Amino acid sequence: MTIDPIRCAFRRIGLFTVLMFATLTLVACASAPLPPTESLNAARDAIASAEQAEARQYAGAELEEANRHLAAANEAVAAERMAEAERLAKQARVAAELAIARTEAAKAAAINREMGRGAEALDEEMQRQGDQQ
Amino acid sequence: MKIPSFLKPVSGVKTGAVVLLSSLLLSACAMSPTSPDGSEDVRAKLTQLQQNPDMMTHARVELRDAEAAVVLAEQPVDDNAVAAHRIYMADRMVEIARAKGKAGSLEAERELLGEQRDEARLAARTREADRAHAEAESARSSQAQAAALSAREAEELQRQIDTLEAEATERGLVLTLGDVLFATGSAELQGGTNQNLEKLVNFLKQYPDRQVLIEGHTDNVGSAAFNQTLSRQRAESVRRFLVNRGIESSRLSVSGYGFERPVASNDTAMGRQQNRRVEVVIENKE
Repeated sequence: MTIDPIRCAFRRIGLFTVLMFATLTLVACASAPLPPTESLNAARDAIASAEQAEARQYAGAELEEANRHLAAANEAVAAERMAEAERLAKQARVAAELAIARTEAAKAAAINREMGRGAEALDEEMQRQGDQQ
Repeated sequence: MKIPSFLKPVSGVKTGAVVLLSSLLLSACAMSPTSPDGSEDVRAKLTQLQQNPDMMTHARVELRDAEAAVVLAEQPVDDNAVAAHRIYMADRMVEIARAKGKAGSLEAERELLGEQRDEARLAARTREADRAHAEAESARSSQAQAAALSAREAEELQRQIDTLEAEATERGLVLTLGDVLFATGSAELQGGTNQNLEKLVNFLKQYPDRQVLIEGHTDNVGSAAFNQTLSRQRAESVRRFLVNRGIESSRLSVSGYGFERPVASNDTAMGRQQNRRVEVVIENKE
């Protein structure tokens, strides 16, 4: 019984493939998970929108909180704690969205106050005109 | 057979222990998946918002998102960091819903305010327009009154002028007093009242702002110097008469022209009579 050289070659290739796969799997496990780029971008966009909406003036604490979370998320990325980074990025985004919502509410309240004053002034004016007659 | 009979109670003890242990384990299992601490607070806040019809109207989508986040936060989870994260997210989403609802309510309120203000403004404008209209009306009527008044005044003046039998000329109203007022060669007014002079006095009293020229004229009988003096004296007589009747002397100026300005021929008695006259010129109002 002589060993079939072709069969031997196949066996070698099979062994090589298995080894290759094992190595690749190990390498994949060893490398850190990818940073949560999408969440980080979303957080940055939300913060930019909040600043655009003048959140610094109307909801400064919320905007500050969002910035703090984003900074912490970046630190977590640097430390390769990607799950934590993802959570912090999401928190930054939701804080920025709250800043926007509270800014809108504050602006609406300011406009209503202004309108109320305008209406009062108009009432007074009409009262005065009425008195003159 | 002895052993198994001996074993029986032992096995009963064992079974009891196993049952107790397993039941303990089971109850431990049943108790362990509790909602993370803090999720009740978020749920309470959300429930409060959900019971507010204003919030349901103006923040429907945000409340639905918040509901999903709260449900997730209520899921038991081993990792405390994840639990805290989920509660944070749920809490902020509830707050977002609250802010959206508030903004929506304010906007609705603003529309109402705007309507009220428009109504108020409309009322003010209407009132203003009414008043302007009334003012224009009264201005028109007073203008009409003024016009009617001046028309009446003009009419009255004309009537007076007619009564005076004066002639309207460029210099003013010219009233000619005939020589019948004076005795021949005399400058004295004849006694008794002269109707023309009375009318003149009335007219001058009615129009006190008019200046008067009194001009004496004669025919060509006698010397020029005599006639000039006579004409002037006759004019002076008329002036005295008017002053005596209460007309201010400052309004009256006197001149004598002798026979310089005849109005008719001195060749006939008739013409000479027409030339012997005193003309009273009532100047036009400037």
